[in-house]
Amino acid sequence: MRDEQISRVKLMEWINMYSFAKDDAVLYLDTHPMDMEALDYFYKYSKLRNEALEEYARLYGPLTVDTADSNKQKWEWIDEPWPWEGKEGC
Amino acid sequence: MWNYEKRLQYPVKITKTNPKMAQVIISQFGGPDGELAASMRYLSQRYTTPYKEVKGILTDIGTSVSEMFRLSPPPFPMVFPSA
Repeated sequence: MRDEQISRVKLMEWINMYSFAKDDAVLYLDTHPMDMEALDYFYKYSKLRNEALEEYARLYGPLTVDTADSNKQKWEWIDEPWPWEGKEGC
Repeated sequence: MWNYEKRLQYPVKITKTNPKMAQVIISQFGGPDGELAASMRYLSQRYTTPYKEVKGILTDIGTSVSEMFRLSPPPFPMVFPSA
């Protein structure tokens, strides 16, 4: 596996981890809105997630339309394969 | 409104197609007690619930349950392998 592919897979793994942490904190905060520790946790992982999504968009193409890179010369959203089009099925 | 993310909620690698398994998964997905129906129930019930905490959690659970079939691999490639 080439270096670029490794870092791409790694970055995607981080995005998946940050997203899970953020989504879980959201569900907890809905019923515990005054929990400052949970609130800090949410903002921490939400920020890390956004940074990772922007980094991914810059290097490989956007995973969300909101993080599409304005420095690119074309609309890259439709270029990268969709999740169900992976080499190993999904 | 929802935003699509071009990734899987939980990455899955399907090494060989399995129509029998696909039959089970497709009913968990769109069947009478499947995720599709559950998510629509959450997202409908939130309109009449009186508590803000519950409106929030029904919205967010309804969203994440929907993500199971929006972000996760649909069972269809297992039934209709492209290769």
